[in-house]
Amino acid sequence: MQAAITLENVSKKFNGNPAVDKLSFEVKQGDIYGFLGPNGSGKSTTLRMIMSLIKPDEGSIHLFGESLASNRSSIMRKIGCIIEKPDFYGYLSALENLKLFARANLLQLNEKDYTNLLAQVGLSGRGKDKVKTYSHGMKQRLGLAQVLIHDPELIILDEPNTGLDPQGIIDLRELLWSLNVEQGKTILFSSHILSEVQEICNRMIIIHHGKTVVQGSVEELLSTENLQVSMEVSNPEICKQQLQQSRWQAFLQSEDEHRFSFGMAKTEIPLLIEYLTHHKVFIERIDYKNQLEDYFLKITKGS
Amino acid sequence: MKEFIAIFKNELVKTMKRPRSFIGFAIISFVCMVLQAAFYQDGKELLSMVTSQFEQVFSVQGNVLNGNLICFIILQTLIVQMPLLVAFVTGDTISGEAASGTLRFLLTRPASRTKILLAKWLSGLLYTLILLAILGFFALIVSRWIFGEGDLVALNSDGLTIIRAHEINWRWAAAFFIAFLSLSVVATYAVMLSTMMDNSITPIVTVMVTIIVFTIIGLFDMPSFDLIKPFLFTTHMISWRSLFEDPIPWNVIIQSCSILAIHIMLFLGIGIYYFKRKDIQS
Amino acid sequence: MRKLLFVILILLAQHAMAVDDSKLLIREINRKFALVADYNANVDMKFDIPGVKMNSMKGKIFFKKPDRFRIRTKGIYFMPKQNPMQQIGSMLLDTNSYTSIISGYETLDGRECAVVNIIPTGNQSELILGKFWIDKKNPLIMKTQITTRNNGTIETQNVYGSMAKYALPEKITIVVEMKRFKMSKMMTADLNKKSAPKKTENQTEKGRISMTMSNYKINTKFSDAEFTAE
Repeated sequence: MQAAITLENVSKKFNGNPAVDKLSFEVKQGDIYGFLGPNGSGKSTTLRMIMSLIKPDEGSIHLFGESLASNRSSIMRKIGCIIEKPDFYGYLSALENLKLFARANLLQLNEKDYTNLLAQVGLSGRGKDKVKTYSHGMKQRLGLAQVLIHDPELIILDEPNTGLDPQGIIDLRELLWSLNVEQGKTILFSSHILSEVQEICNRMIIIHHGKTVVQGSVEELLSTENLQVSMEVSNPEICKQQLQQSRWQAFLQSEDEHRFSFGMAKTEIPLLIEYLTHHKVFIERIDYKNQLEDYFLKITKGS
Repeated sequence: MKEFIAIFKNELVKTMKRPRSFIGFAIISFVCMVLQAAFYQDGKELLSMVTSQFEQVFSVQGNVLNGNLICFIILQTLIVQMPLLVAFVTGDTISGEAASGTLRFLLTRPASRTKILLAKWLSGLLYTLILLAILGFFALIVSRWIFGEGDLVALNSDGLTIIRAHEINWRWAAAFFIAFLSLSVVATYAVMLSTMMDNSITPIVTVMVTIIVFTIIGLFDMPSFDLIKPFLFTTHMISWRSLFEDPIPWNVIIQSCSILAIHIMLFLGIGIYYFKRKDIQS
Repeated sequence: MRKLLFVILILLAQHAMAVDDSKLLIREINRKFALVADYNANVDMKFDIPGVKMNSMKGKIFFKKPDRFRIRTKGIYFMPKQNPMQQIGSMLLDTNSYTSIISGYETLDGRECAVVNIIPTGNQSELILGKFWIDKKNPLIMKTQITTRNNGTIETQNVYGSMAKYALPEKITIVVEMKRFKMSKMMTADLNKKSAPKKTENQTEKGRISMTMSNYKINTKFSDAEFTAE
């Protein structure tokens, strides 16, 4: 299957300063990609180049096997995007804004289509309100409606959960999953909420200083790393005793009264829990630090 | 073509739903009504300022203060204001959307940048046409209704030309066409500047400054300025007045219209060239 | 010989009468004026006024004794403030208000004319001096030059046709001295005009209005309503 996005040695300079430097990566169809990078890493410039908002100085961008430079119009029909943040014509209603986007995509939708679309993003009954009265979260939802209006094959979202309330983040997650699983849409998704990326995406690309640092399956990239597992128990003496008698002692990094910290793979956690509960250790709480966050920091500092 | 018509429709919807579009309509209507009220009240005194040069020798007979004269005065009074109103709307066609972020949405749709700019430019011209139609309605139709019809005493710095009533309507039609061509230059200039800037105010201010400076140069009766006047588009923007001369200097009018058309093509060409290469970072 | 002498004397007397008696000439003209109580005619007006461009226009003139005069036309036109067509007749009629004297003779369009000066007797008169060029043979005013206190000098040149018996001209050309009309560019805003070459201040030029009359109707006793504005 052809890649949804292929970047080959793409470079862009602004006033002589390289924003993106010979960047190459590939986004496969049918996956949800997390696109990560620290501020100023060239993430936004890359997304804008993919959406033809910025022209690369060098290199080539292909979408669905077609060159963006020569087939822009047909490519754009297959893409829905939110770049930076969703902005609308504030003096128009949500419905009027959607009608503009529908017309720009040469779509002929009826009122029911618009009602369904608004319902899909949680804006039922708010279609006639002027967008200037919308909160940022509502604009994000309307942005999603605009993305989905022409049923794109590829969805590119730049920080889509910024401004969303917790329920909004959950809704977005579920919407993206359903779009990916049920409709097979490819999603490229950048976010600063790394746990969310880890939660939603099955593949990721990390860039730094305009270059690809790493790309691959989330599972593969993160499974090689140790988790920072923290556990609170009600009977620390027994716990300590049991750990000393087992292979788990090797994973123990520190202990402090009721709290024990381990460094281990994610797959080890259920085994540890099983061992301790079997040996009458009462676990009150167990959590692990964001693994991607550590990985991200390590990778970007290392590079 | 279908795509172009669709985005052109979008541009019309946006233009006609923007509150700022109606500010222009309101200002034109208001200024016309204020001038009409002023002429209704004090028109004869104002007129005597013009005719005082004759009054020792001649008396001017007939309805001088008629709808045609009011329209002539309004049209030349608004020579500075109309371009500003046009620039007020067309000056932020691109830059305004860049500033508000909506340009990103526009440019990530299938239509090419050239088509988008042309659609915006055309909707700007249509707005200009509506603005002129409103001006025409108030300045000519309403003025004729209030002040009556009659021969036009056209005021020129080198004399008066009296145009007989029966040969005035086609002159007005041609004058409004030239006025439209002139304002189209302003609209295109504003659109061109709009492609180069990322905030909505700077292009509007730049258009205003250009027109004010060029107009001041045009107003000064200095032979040294005569050298540069032919190169200023404001010089040709007033060429509608030539239709109210006798005989009509057609060669001058055709030359001015050609220069205005060249300006439009030049500004539009530069605008498209720049816009196609512009990186959207906002 | 006696007969010849008598004929010569008669001719000389006639000549003296024709040449010297301005009052006689005026009386003859007034006699013709007296035949007309009112008239109306079609008029074709042409304008040649410095700084003013306007096409010719048609209209109708109305006159009733002693000095009611109106041009009815659709449109704008210029007329001297002291309209000679309106005033000359009444000016000459009041013979007590002026003294007349022949100041010389000139030939105009092949006609020998006496130049009759009219000098008002009162100090309050608007008229300062009136000069009338009157055809000696067939007393008709061929040319006038009227100088008034407020309106300067106005000249008229008359051409007669079939209405000569009523002293009504077929064509009258009114010539006035005036300064060229000019306005500030700031006021007219005609930016497309090049700067006009500067002329000497107060330079006067001549403005001309020609009126050609046709279809005269004499003493029809038309309604006074013709003189009221519509």
